[in-house]
Formats: sequence, structure tokens, C-alpha cells
Amino acid sequence: MLFLELLIQGLIYGCMYAIIAVGLTLVYGLLRILHVAHAGLFTLGAYLGVIVTNATGSLGLAIPVSAMCVGLVGMAIYRLCYQPILSKPPYVALIASIGLFIAMEEIFRLIFGPYGLTYTQVPLQSPVSLLGMSLRMVDIFIVFGSVAMLGLLSWLAQKTRIGIAWRATVDDPQMAGSFGISVQNVRYLNFFIGSALAAVAGIFISLLSNLAEPTMGGVPSYKALAIIVLGGLGNVTGTLIAAVILGVVEAYGTIYVGNLLDRDAIAFAFLILVLMLKPQGLFSRK
Amino acid sequence: MGIYELSLATIVGINIILALGLNLITGYCGQISLGHAAFFGTGAYVVALMAKAGYPAPINLVCAMLITGGIGIVVGVASLRVRHDFLAITTMGVGFLFLGIVRQQDSVLGGEMGLSGIPSIGLEKPAFLMLVLAVAALCTLFSVYIKKSWMGFAFDAVATDEDTARLLTVNVPVYKLTAFALGTAMAGLAGGLYCYFTRFIMPDDFGFITSISVLSMVAVGGIGSVPGVIIGTMLLTLLPEMSEFLSDYKLFFYGALLFGVMRFAPDGLAGVGSSLRGMLKRSGRAV
Amino acid sequence: MIKKTTLIFLTLCLVVSFASLCPAADTIKFGFNAPLTGFAAADGKSSSEGAKLAVKQINAAGGVLGKQVELVIYDDQAKPANAIPIANKLIGKDKVVVGISGSYSGPTRSSAGVFQEAGIPYISAYAIHPDITRAGNMVYRTGLLGTVQGRAGAKLVGDMMGKKNVVIITLQNDFGKSLAAGFKSVAADYGIQVIAEYQYSMKDRQFGSLVAKVKADKPDAIYASGYYFTCGPLVSQLRAGGVDAPVIGQEGYDGQKFIEIAGPAAEGVLITTTLDRDSKEKEAREFIQAFEKQAGYPADMVSASAHTAVKVAAAAIERAGSTDPEKIRQAIAKTSYKASSGLIRFNKLGEVMKPVQVQIVRDGRWHYYAVIDDPELLTPPEE
Repeated sequence: MLFLELLIQGLIYGCMYAIIAVGLTLVYGLLRILHVAHAGLFTLGAYLGVIVTNATGSLGLAIPVSAMCVGLVGMAIYRLCYQPILSKPPYVALIASIGLFIAMEEIFRLIFGPYGLTYTQVPLQSPVSLLGMSLRMVDIFIVFGSVAMLGLLSWLAQKTRIGIAWRATVDDPQMAGSFGISVQNVRYLNFFIGSALAAVAGIFISLLSNLAEPTMGGVPSYKALAIIVLGGLGNVTGTLIAAVILGVVEAYGTIYVGNLLDRDAIAFAFLILVLMLKPQGLFSRK
Repeated sequence: MGIYELSLATIVGINIILALGLNLITGYCGQISLGHAAFFGTGAYVVALMAKAGYPAPINLVCAMLITGGIGIVVGVASLRVRHDFLAITTMGVGFLFLGIVRQQDSVLGGEMGLSGIPSIGLEKPAFLMLVLAVAALCTLFSVYIKKSWMGFAFDAVATDEDTARLLTVNVPVYKLTAFALGTAMAGLAGGLYCYFTRFIMPDDFGFITSISVLSMVAVGGIGSVPGVIIGTMLLTLLPEMSEFLSDYKLFFYGALLFGVMRFAPDGLAGVGSSLRGMLKRSGRAV
Repeated sequence: MIKKTTLIFLTLCLVVSFASLCPAADTIKFGFNAPLTGFAAADGKSSSEGAKLAVKQINAAGGVLGKQVELVIYDDQAKPANAIPIANKLIGKDKVVVGISGSYSGPTRSSAGVFQEAGIPYISAYAIHPDITRAGNMVYRTGLLGTVQGRAGAKLVGDMMGKKNVVIITLQNDFGKSLAAGFKSVAADYGIQVIAEYQYSMKDRQFGSLVAKVKADKPDAIYASGYYFTCGPLVSQLRAGGVDAPVIGQEGYDGQKFIEIAGPAAEGVLITTTLDRDSKEKEAREFIQAFEKQAGYPADMVSASAHTAVKVAAAAIERAGSTDPEKIRQAIAKTSYKASSGLIRFNKLGEVMKPVQVQIVRDGRWHYYAVIDDPELLTPPEE
């Protein structure tokens, strides 16, 4: 019984991590940049979600609005921040991204205060009984929502022209360019989708804990970085599987190994272990 | 010098030693380390435990260097298996692992409560500052020497293009490990001095944020450039003090600065310095 | 062109240096370090607002020794490495007569060492690390020690509430661990059996697996330590997960934000703290009203603690009749002051001896529940 509950909890964590990590791995796959500022977009998504929900009373409106806005901000970040430094060594983009993230965290604190924002009426809190466990609607929502979005993403990538152009560009930008694909547009699309996903992940987390705070991006971003490495940098499917595995490992780890290592350490210990055995990650790029 | 200026200068000195160490690993040898604070912390804890056990300072500091350097080699071995971005994340993981272990070790390492009551090094504040500055100067000379030596050349080769370096019979693994050993030993030394400075250490002092701060000092200064790193360290360490008037906006300013430097002057202050010199040369003035 | 900008720059420098040479108003300076930016900014804001209010009230009543009090606040970002230069600056440059810490244990402990060495009194408002007062006789603490509060919690749970099977959920930092240690040290005396103990990290907001495990443990009560941003979500998730056992917390919950986050799940949660919202004492009532007006949100333990520390310092200086550090220290040691967070008296070590308030959430606000005033239980260590 407990075993099952922990497993389900692990799946829920895993879905959240997956949504965040996918955006990160998309950016990495295309540009070889570790987009730490992704965490700032995640936080922005959460803040917008809370604000719009509180203002209009509708979560259903808040999610697309937040995703859209954050997607646009993500595109702007690519254009203004990353594009000019693509030719520089990797640490340049990394530190620029970190600086951006710190600045974003501070902007949230300066505008909205250090205490964070809460929902006036938290949506999706009604209890749901599943297999003898007490969950909340939001837990179910997260799992189904994540699966739906990832399914949509997959359909987009496989079955539409845009998606094919996207994958071609990721695989071989020069070749794609010579086929007339606008590499620039693909990059914009990439950032838009990745950032929109981050925004939705942010909203999920804010629903679970009823709090959007300036520093909330930190931990998910570290975990997401570990996940995309685990899944094989740039490999979307690998990332998804790694996210779920990590979610489950954490769920059990915090209960049973929690006295030896704290939660973050568990995730990273697992990562280091795997990397020592398989340096390209669990599933490396094809 | 008032006590305020003394304490600031001491922190700057300690940070310089720390940053030069990272410069060896990341700047010279191109191995991105996001977990440098773990070595800083290891040095601090080694000195704390040994000092409390009654051993004299010089032995403690040397032990800090040796033990930290040893652990650095172990982590270096990890770097042999993974590359670039994988390495960055792995070193980040090492940082968290260090914290995770220290936090939970209540008995020996003090756990969350940290270690306090660390005996004084026996020097007055001005004398301690002199010691720190002397060590920083030694590290500077050492860094410059390495850069100009065969080892520096090999480091550069590894940083630029590992595979080609291998073809040129540069023993890449050995050099990587050496860089890690030296760089982390310096971090351990800095940690030991830090321990004598604050005489109270907690795990939080050695977290990811600290790792990022040190990396920023190196990056803003100009990765690989010794004078650049020194100036970058001074700038970033003194920034909170200089920007008191910014008060609430301090951290925002810091983030913006990091971003700005990487975005507009990715070679850091060293890069700015050399392009200024270039500009002056072209305009016909002697430099 | 360069000449012109250099000229302007030099002029500015001269103006600024003249401005700093201008004789400052004759004030008595209190030093205050708090985490105004960084991860602890929320507590930094509360503590500095509490301190500012105290100074405002003191000055409105005529100041100290006939002079106005000036609060010199510096941001230590909750980092010990920053705290040491700040302490040196307060002592060396600003020449404060007393230092007050509105910050966490790490920076407070480091600063305490500096103040002790310089021979200037230093008061810790709410940092709980036991070694802070051990820095020397110049250091005092107006907030409760973690272990003392933990012991009070055990009495509340085992004796006053009569609950026996308890699960402890501990925040992994010095605050959480010292509370748990205090609780466990006297748990058996009150018939409590700790059936399980779990830990979580400061950054955790999702406790799904923890909730599942606690539910399986079926405790009579849960003793959980943390802050509003961890325990708010924790309590909300516990209730949502079907865990109905009463939750007993501590001063980390103390604030309106906890109730906002946990919503209806917050009802009935008990905490051991030092701010009594229903207090009949004048100082506390005035503080609560004035704080909400000044800061725009209801008062919390951190702001009350900072307020108390400043008031205690001012009262001591007034009694000492001079700004001589040793005289101030002696006056502080003899303090018996009814502050916003209780009657403040110090023991030999500089630890405060005051009763523990128990507050409960009713109808979305904190209210009085009980007070624990057992001197033997609450006596802090003497060394």
C-alpha cells in the first residue's frame, strides 16, 4: 500500500520534472547551451498563473495566457541574450544564463515582495480517492496534463511540417538550412515551446504548494539539469524517462535514505553513479 | 587600516586564492567545475577539525591542501569519463553531494549546526591579513609560472582540443588530473584560511551559490588570465560593499553584471584590458 | 572631451566628500544586520521593519539619553562571510554603541565573535544557534533557544494535549534539528513515544511521499518544524492526503503567510512561539497595531523579536545612563523588560528566560491558546 503510494507520488514528481526538463533539453539539443535561466521562466509562469487566476477566477484562462507570455519572453531571451554569444565557448552562455536567472529572481522579489504570492482560492483541491489513496484533483491534473502536452509535442514533432523541419534543424542545421528551412524560426519555435512548457510546470508547482515565490526556480532547475544529463543531453525521450525515474528514486529515497543524504544530494548521487557507469547518460543521443 | 578595511581585505585575499585555483581547472585546463565550493568547504572542515583537536596551524593548512587535493584527484578521475557539459553538471552534483553528506553528519562534522569554537590561528588581524596576502601572492606567482611552463602549454592544448592533444601524445588524463589536484588544493588552502578567519563554519557557507560566485569571479575577470581573475575577484567581492547605496537592488545588479559581462565582454576584464590596449596602440600612443 | 568629463567627475567627488564631512546630527547609533536580499529576504524584511518601528517609537518618546536613535542597517544576505566585514564596519566606521542581529544563525555567530572581541554589546533577535551566546559576555539573545522551545513543545503535546504517539518531521537546518533535539530530550517525561522521525530540506515544497508514509504511521500528533514556505505546503498536503492528526509547530510558522498558504488546512494548528496576538500587555498591543500599519502586513515573530531586541537595548542604555560599553552590558544583564515578545530577563550566559506562548489558528488568524511557564523546563543552559 505504502509502496504503491510512493510509486504514484514518484510518478507525479516525475511528470513535473519531465515538463521542466523537456524545455531544457530542447534548448540544449539545438544550441548546446545549458539554459539555466529556464528556471526564471518557470517562476515567471507560476507568478503569471497566480496573478491571472486571482484576477479572473479562472485557471483555465491563466494557463494559456501564462504559457503564451512566457513563451514570448523565452523567445526574446534567445534573441537578446543567446544569439549574440553562440560562437563563444560554452561557459559564456552558462554564466550569462546564471546572471540572468539571478536578476530575474530579484525582479520577482522587488516587484512582488519576498513572501511570494498565493491563490485567493486554490483551484483543483477537491479530494480524489484512487486505489485507496487520498489525492487531490491537482495531482491527477498534473499527470494527465503532462501526458497530454507531451503527446501533443510528439505529434507536432512527428506529424507536422513544422515538426519535421524542427527535427531536421536539430540534427543538422546546415543541411536543414540548405533545404530552405529557416533555422532562425526553428530556434524561436524551440524557445517558445520550451518556455511555455516551463510556465505550465511552474503553474503546476504553484498549485501543489499554493505558493509562487521568487526563489522557486532554483531547485527544479538543478534537478532538471541532472535529468537532461541523465537522459542523454538532447535526447527528449531519454529525458522523459529519466525524469520519471528520478521522481521515483526521490520518492523512495527521501523516506528511506533521508537520514543519510538530503533530497538534492540523493538526486545527484544517483546521477553521478549513473554517469560513472554510462558517461553518455542513460540514453545517449542517437 | 581600520578593522573594517582589514576584514574586507582578508576576504578578498581568500577569494583570490580560491579563484586562482578554479582558474587552473577551468581557465587553464578547460574543465568546467560548478562544484568548487565543495573543495573550499573540505579545506575548511579539515582545518576546523584538526585545529579543534589541537594541531598547530601550519600542519592543518598543509593537511587541508593535501586532503583536498586528493579528493580533487578523485573528482578529476570522474572528469576523465565525462566531458564539457556533462562535467559541469557532474561537478555541480559533487558540490551537492558534499553538502548532503556534511549536513547529515551530526557527530563529527557538526551537521547543520556547523563547527564553532575554532581556535585562533594565533595572529593578530593585521598579521593574519599579511599571511593571507602572502599566500595569495604565492598562488599568483605559481599560476603565472604554470602558464608559462610546459604544463601550461599542455593545459592549453587540452582545453582547446582534447582529441588533437591526445594525438600529439599529450597525456591528457594526467594533465587533467594535475589541474584538478592543484586547483582543488588551492581551494582547500583558501578554505583553511577562511576557517581561521570566521572561526565558525556551517554547511551553508559552501553551497552551490558559493560555487557560482567563484566561477563568476573567474569569468568576469577573464578565464585563464591571472591579472584578470585577481581584478575580477576584487571587484565582485567588494561590490556588495561599494553598492550599499543600491541596497535593495544589490543582488539584481550583481546578476545583471554577470549577464552583461558575458553578453558584451565575454573575455572578461582581461579582454576589455587587451582591447583597450589595442585601441591605444592603434591610435598611435605608446602603452 | 576627456578633460570635461574628468572635471565633472572630480567635481562630483568633491561634492560627495564634502557631504560626508558635514557634521552628522548628534545621534546614538544602533547597528543592525539582516538578510535584506538573498534567500532569507522575507525574514530580513520582517526583522528590519520590526527594528525600524522600535526606533521610531523610541525616538517619538524622546530618544535615548536625550538623543535620537539612528538605526544603521546593513544587508548580510544571511552569509557569514558578509557578516564579518559588516560587523567590523558597524564598530569601526559607524561607531555603534550596540549591535543587534536580525539575521540567521550563521552570520549572527560570526558577528558575535567580532563584537565580543571589540567589547561592544550584541543582541541576537531570533537566531537560535546555542554557540552565539557562548561567544562571550557581550552577547545576549532575546529569542528562544531551539532546544528550549522543543522542550516546551513536548510538554504541550504530551502533557497538555495528552497525545502519545508522535511523528516528528524535522527541517534539515540548525533550527529544525535543535527543536527536534529539545523535543526528544524530554519526550519520555511526558509519556510521548516517537514512532517515526523524518527529515526534509529547506527547499522542499512537495511532500507527497512524506505524507504517504506519515499516513501509514497513524500518529496521534505530528511535531513538524519549518518555516511558512515549507510548513504551509506541508500542512496543506497532510490534510489533503487524509492525515487528520493535530499538527504542532513552532515560531517558524508564526506569520499570516502560513495561514494564507495552508488555507483551511491551517485551522487548529498549534505553535509554540513568543508573540501573543491576544496579549493584554500594552507593549505587545501597540506593537501589533503599529506594525501592521507601518509594514502593511500582520506582525510576526521575527518582527516582534527584532522590535524586542531594539527596545531592550534602548532601555538598557537609558538605565546605564551612558554609552560606555561595559556599563551598557551590565544594564542589559539586569534587564527585566516587558517587551512585545514577553518579559525579558537574561541568565548568566545571556540567554533569555521567558514563558513560551502557544498560539492556535482559529478563523484564519492566530489566537491565544495557552502559555507554558514552567521555569525548570524552560531554563536555558548557563554556559
